[in-house]
Amino acid sequence: MLAGVIGIAAAAAVAPPSPESGSAAISLLGSRCGACHAARGGKGGLNLSSPAGIAAGGISGPVVTPGKPADSRLLTMIESGKMPPGGRLPAAEIRRIRDWIAAGSPGLPKESGPRITQHQIIPIMYLRCAPCHGGRRKEAGLDLRTPAGMRAGGKSGPAIVPGKPEESRLLKRVHAGEMPPPRMVVAVSVKPMEPGEIRLMEDWIRLGAPEVEIAADVQTREPDPLVADKDRLFWAFQAPKRPTVPALPPGARTTNPIDAFLLKGLKARGLDFSPEADRRELIRRVTLDLTGLPPTPDDVKAYLADAAPGAYERVVDRLLASPRYGEQWGRRWLDLAGYSDSEGIQESDPIRPYGWRYRDYVVRSLNADKPYDRFLLEQIAGDELYDYARAPEITSEIADSLIATAFLRQVPDATFANITNFVPDRLDIIGDEMQVLSSSVMGLTMKCARCHDHKFDPIPQRDYYRLLAVFKGAFDEHDWLTNYDGERPEEGPIAIRDLPYAPTAEVRAWRERETARRVEVERVKAALKAAEQAARSRIPAAGDEADLKKRDAEYARAATDAAAALKGLDARREAVPRIRALWDRGEPSPTYLLRRGDYLKPGPLLGPGVPSVLTDGRTPLDIRPPFPGARSTGRRLAFARWLTQPGQPLTARVIVNRIWKWRFGRGIVATVDNFGKMGARPTHPELLDWLATTLSSPEYGWRLKPLHRLMVTSRAYRQSSRTTAEAVRRDPDNRWLGRMPLRRMDAEELHDTLLQVVGELDVTPGGPSDPIEVREDGMVTVARTARGWRRALYGTHRRKQPITLLEAFDRPQMNPNCTERPESTVAPQALQLMNSERVNTLAASFARRVRSVAGGAGVGEQIQVAFELALGRPPSGEEAAAAITAIGRWSSAPAPAVGRAAVDPLHRFCHALLNSAGFLYVD
Amino acid sequence: MSIDLSALRRGGPCCGVGAPLSRRSLFEQVSGGIYGAALTSLLLSDAASASPSDQPADLQPRLPKQAPKAKSVIHLFMNGGPSQMDLFDPKDELDRNHGKSYFEKIAGEVENPGAAGALMKSPFKFARHGRSGCWVSDALPEFARHVDDIAFIRSMYTTNLTHEPALYLIQTGRMSPGYPTLGAWVVFALGNVNQNLPAYVVLDDPQGLPINGVQNWQAGMLPPVFQGTRFRSVGTPVLSLKPEYDQPEDALVLERDLVRRLDTLHRRSRPLQPQLDARMASYSLAARMQVEATDALDISRESEKTRERYGIGQGASDSYGRRCLIARRLIERGVRFVQLFIRSQIWDHHNGLLDGMRSCAAQTDRPISALLQDLTERGLMDETLVVWGGEFGRLPIAQMSGDKDERKAGRDHNKNAFCTWMAGAGVKGGVMHGETDEIGLASVKDRVGVPDWHATILHLLGLPYERVTYHHHGLEERLTGQEPARVVREILA
Repeated sequence: MLAGVIGIAAAAAVAPPSPESGSAAISLLGSRCGACHAARGGKGGLNLSSPAGIAAGGISGPVVTPGKPADSRLLTMIESGKMPPGGRLPAAEIRRIRDWIAAGSPGLPKESGPRITQHQIIPIMYLRCAPCHGGRRKEAGLDLRTPAGMRAGGKSGPAIVPGKPEESRLLKRVHAGEMPPPRMVVAVSVKPMEPGEIRLMEDWIRLGAPEVEIAADVQTREPDPLVADKDRLFWAFQAPKRPTVPALPPGARTTNPIDAFLLKGLKARGLDFSPEADRRELIRRVTLDLTGLPPTPDDVKAYLADAAPGAYERVVDRLLASPRYGEQWGRRWLDLAGYSDSEGIQESDPIRPYGWRYRDYVVRSLNADKPYDRFLLEQIAGDELYDYARAPEITSEIADSLIATAFLRQVPDATFANITNFVPDRLDIIGDEMQVLSSSVMGLTMKCARCHDHKFDPIPQRDYYRLLAVFKGAFDEHDWLTNYDGERPEEGPIAIRDLPYAPTAEVRAWRERETARRVEVERVKAALKAAEQAARSRIPAAGDEADLKKRDAEYARAATDAAAALKGLDARREAVPRIRALWDRGEPSPTYLLRRGDYLKPGPLLGPGVPSVLTDGRTPLDIRPPFPGARSTGRRLAFARWLTQPGQPLTARVIVNRIWKWRFGRGIVATVDNFGKMGARPTHPELLDWLATTLSSPEYGWRLKPLHRLMVTSRAYRQSSRTTAEAVRRDPDNRWLGRMPLRRMDAEELHDTLLQVVGELDVTPGGPSDPIEVREDGMVTVARTARGWRRALYGTHRRKQPITLLEAFDRPQMNPNCTERPESTVAPQALQLMNSERVNTLAASFARRVRSVAGGAGVGEQIQVAFELALGRPPSGEEAAAAITAIGRWSSAPAPAVGRAAVDPLHRFCHALLNSAGFLYVD
Repeated sequence: MSIDLSALRRGGPCCGVGAPLSRRSLFEQVSGGIYGAALTSLLLSDAASASPSDQPADLQPRLPKQAPKAKSVIHLFMNGGPSQMDLFDPKDELDRNHGKSYFEKIAGEVENPGAAGALMKSPFKFARHGRSGCWVSDALPEFARHVDDIAFIRSMYTTNLTHEPALYLIQTGRMSPGYPTLGAWVVFALGNVNQNLPAYVVLDDPQGLPINGVQNWQAGMLPPVFQGTRFRSVGTPVLSLKPEYDQPEDALVLERDLVRRLDTLHRRSRPLQPQLDARMASYSLAARMQVEATDALDISRESEKTRERYGIGQGASDSYGRRCLIARRLIERGVRFVQLFIRSQIWDHHNGLLDGMRSCAAQTDRPISALLQDLTERGLMDETLVVWGGEFGRLPIAQMSGDKDERKAGRDHNKNAFCTWMAGAGVKGGVMHGETDEIGLASVKDRVGVPDWHATILHLLGLPYERVTYHHHGLEERLTGQEPARVVREILA
């Protein structure tokens, strides 16, 4: 494009004047192309309906090079048949356009403004110069981010002299190969200037460094020509309307509005709900669904014994109040965020030391049933909610609002290494974060618009860059906070993305612990010193310490104890509490659209905004400083408020649809992260809107627990998963929900259930992630705590070392996030459960537990206990018989050879039970 | 030098969600009231009529629809997009026009326009080889000895010039994730001869997953039993393949019997749940795999000479050599589809073309050559199809690194031309099919698209592409999509 601009300048100078008016060709273009390429911001930013528009060109640069048909993009597009999309133009018309261009394209206005303005130069300055001569660093007193700064210059005088490229110091230094300094470039992640960029700067200075005042493009009164009002009529872009709940058919045995909507769909197809699930199945299902753990035998017994009305609802309320609920639900949110404890991409895959705080924030918020709008507000713009830097005390609310912002700090990110920290690398990371945001929260495939106007949805490319502008105060590819800045032996990696605003109380407690620890260290050292003195007084002839140890057993023992104590104390050392966060730094660089997503091809200047199709298209985002004296731009806060304002078409629908999918196995909109035109249409549009408007109603106030409660207490949810050939034939995909789907436990549910059943689950919540252990053959497991193992959620999620059992059962890698987990069934899963040492050991614990619960009872009772523990039900007669037979045969096996392990029949049976489908699947 | 650039305009949109998906979503909308229509499974030669759940959901061997040439496939997937004009497709015009600017004419076809350089000749020397006189550059001296067994398709093209969508396309026929791969379709259609090994084995690089990760061997909408199973070629081939604890074998046999008994009872009271069938199948496969896979993956049973021939234990070629040898051992045991991957994308030579391609050659040339020879010597070549290729090709112009040092130049992605080859059962040897233009920018004669390539592989397996279908959401899904494809008959024996 840069070359193209110069090309035009040069060609225009030599173009011969033409006697023709050119009006025929110009009006031809208007009639053939003007339908799409019309007015300001037509397709490709091109307006072919007027001579001025043709002359101005589009987002891809000039389209006509007077006198040079072959260099005129307009003609090559037409001649190649790419344009117009409806079919090739008649040969005579193509010829007319060609001849007109060859004749110097008469009739086009002479350029009105300067051909090169500061807006072609500023992006170059940001890319090549501003890292050292800009906002944060002003080497030689120089700020090259603006034309004024270039003219003002620095210690050595002005950087540019308008009209005189040869006298401009900036160009001289560049030509001399001194700038950007070759040896510095990698350190500041700058690449050398492209020749075209140098020429462009020369030309601009030669022209007198002209500037034009262009306001950043935000939504204005003038509607976006690529987003028509009819586009806003698409169902997902319309605000949800509250439908009337259908009347329940006679004998519906439910008052739940969800059932009313579903029954309407079923009855219309001659279908009906399946019978209610067996109580044991139901409590296992709902307990696993809501907490990720199975019910204990006592839970089951209590539910079976509760004959009063509302027994099931009481179980649901107990589960929703359980701290396990936030862990289960939080895990799913963490999938959407793409939570990981490591940075990824590079082989070193460094650990994110404070990443766990975000995980705990999510669990905490969900357990507290924080309203979803607030939950989003904190995660998108938490840093703009409080004046944390000047707060006299960091309360837990302030800290939480900062921790929450790590929602958009989760994607793989290798900018800790200079070589993967160039502007395009950063743009990829920003792109991934926008992907996380749009796929999880907005239900839109915004990423398509990074390089071009969205092919299917009315999302012009400028909408994507407006979204980037919203985030620019925090994600600025020209002012980037790398993950780490060196390493200090005492503190480990210095994470400069981490803020020192942990809750004051926590910092105080940490300081007290650290002080106490240091005091203890001193005490141990002093005691050792004293022991040494005592020993020396006993053996004055002793030489050095080693000699003293040899001669004096008491001192040797004291030295060994002291060393062990010091090692233990050292292991207890804790790093300063910090918060991994995303925050606005107050000085965003300007946002230019990047043509074809190429960072070397800046286009129009854009301001912050939201997708036009989701607004009236006329009102710019209401951005104001978040609080008096804020350094923050307030852009993300405005965005987050827009996202959760009444009538926002997507936010509530997307989250209720997700929860629906997690509950019923299939979204009302099957494509849970794409509500656009290529996504699926809702099977129950009215139900979706009813749920969405219910969630945002004052009664619910965006609280999710009541929504979960509503779903799991529906007759639909309480149906059996047993089905008939007829039902499958009539609704093979179960889209009308005439049965509950049978499901496999997911990776974490399986992991945690195994541990709970065998009695090895350590339910301690929160805190730093538990370390992982990597066996020589590559098997990755979580390290044991003093009380067993914690839930899978708390094991370190390291991208390059996924925990083997979890990976086998489809725990995602997070590239960048996971909006929908697959449910695979493959042999390696069986191998893990059958053969791994870990599961076999857990089965031994299980056998011990069964023995202890069964007391001195016989095999039959043991089998009964094992089934109750693992499957939440007693064995059927046939199951018990199979188990008794197997145990009998194991018992009668000959004694093992010398040196080989004996067979414990109960252990083997317990292992088999943990491997059974009844354990793994949820009815 | 005159090039017909019109070839460039053929090809689809870059978003990977074109006609098929829109049709599918149409069905999402309209099929609400339509009950899943009964469907005849065309894959079962003796199938009468059936409901959707009667479509194959297991790995029992199934007869192809027509007499097959090949019974199994080894897919040597070359991640990253190997450069056709530096391996198999010599371009004199590039020698003559080396250094001439060309970028402006193809700006829309370049992924990194900022780095685009001038036309660049190949740093490798080409020669004709074998009786057939097929061209191979000196990058692949060992492979060059086999050209008389090889059918080169030099006129391949694809529809996207970025890795992820192009990978999805070459693996699944679509440019977005979520569709079954070629291997999944093949084992869906044909099952497995050996019931003790997975039908579809993936030998990925121990050094890391390819781009798109496990989605390169997904089953998509097909039952999960058809997805690829990863085998590791170093250390324990499959984690926990054997019990990691000490118990007598008969006690474990008894335990597996008990699990099977419990699962059978479980399934009996839950009819019509295909997941439970898949789950039982996965357990019995796991048990049988223990025995058979251990043996299949134990390359220490091969002679020293054989291992040496594959380049095992010899630096660069060790890793890929192991995978090639394991591939042969798997094919020998009746595995239907073996797919070899190589560390993330070694052929993606945006820079350092010369050194980079030498390194790729050092890793793969010897192992592949040994594999071809070994298959031939064992008579396996008559029933095995060997397929080689990546997801796209490379441009005739240089891609310059930041410092503009020509010696470090590479080539950018090229969707309009790339080269693949096939060898073995049913394939005519010594054939160079199709042509690219004078500089290798675009395939111009006898163009072969990815669906054509898929159709050809299916054809060799006795599977007419239009009849390998799966009824899903009211649509007859197939590997090649809804548009007609063309079997490349010119390379058939």
